[in-house]
Amino acid sequence: MRWKQFFTPVTSIDTTQARSMVDEKPGQEMTILDVRQPNEYEAGHLPGAKLIPLPDLGDRLAEIDQHKPTLIY
Amino acid sequence: MMAGQGFDNLYNMSGGIKAWNSNTALGPEDLGLELFAGTESVEDVLVVAYSLEDGLRDFYLSMMDKTGNTKVKDLFQKLSKIEIKHKERVFAEYLKVTGKTESVEQFETNSVAAAVEGGLTTEEYLHLFQPDFDSEIDIISLAMSIEAQALDLYQRAADNAGDQKSKAILLQIAKEETAHLSQLGKLMEEVVH
Repeated sequence: MRWKQFFTPVTSIDTTQARSMVDEKPGQEMTILDVRQPNEYEAGHLPGAKLIPLPDLGDRLAEIDQHKPTLIY
Repeated sequence: MMAGQGFDNLYNMSGGIKAWNSNTALGPEDLGLELFAGTESVEDVLVVAYSLEDGLRDFYLSMMDKTGNTKVKDLFQKLSKIEIKHKERVFAEYLKVTGKTESVEQFETNSVAAAVEGGLTTEEYLHLFQPDFDSEIDIISLAMSIEAQALDLYQRAADNAGDQKSKAILLQIAKEETAHLSQLGKLMEEVVH
């Protein structure tokens, strides 16, 4: 059994780049999206992150602004 | 899942919250892997979907041995069995779409093996995510990320499907993958305190 990466291309950035992005685009200029489960979110999350658990994401895409940069974890 | 829905300014944070908290910058994850561009034919997508279902099953079976948590073990066993059914349905759909009459063995040898040639072994694939196999959270997170890829794949295949029957079958499988994601999500809620 072998695997291939077949995500629709999405830019991957490391945490250093993510930190700069959060610093440069504070507040309303970008969306930080946490797709983990509520308990994980409560245990700790990035400042200002919006929680939409992965199982709900498909039904809740309208809550995210398509035109703003979105950082996902 | 989002990239196909008009979101074109997406950034995935490598290593997730663990990397953020530990302040460890992971290297680039581009290992020269081929990406699925989303413009492939339904036939191509079905071949990859089949290999993904096979991979998911392989993943669940190997993770069952690594976890001591009975709840995780039970759910993984159940999900691994469902993936067999998905494989059968994907193969049936493949035969219909292509009009071919090959056996499942021929399909696996001729099409699936070629599609994943040069890809990663399960071990290498898992290494990309560097999960802590003693951590149920890590294992369930990984399962969720793979199920989400499967869901994304089926939704895109359904969008590109020519006839309504194929679309309905692909959407049905997508719906089942969503249910898997929810089950894994619930399990995660029980495991994280």
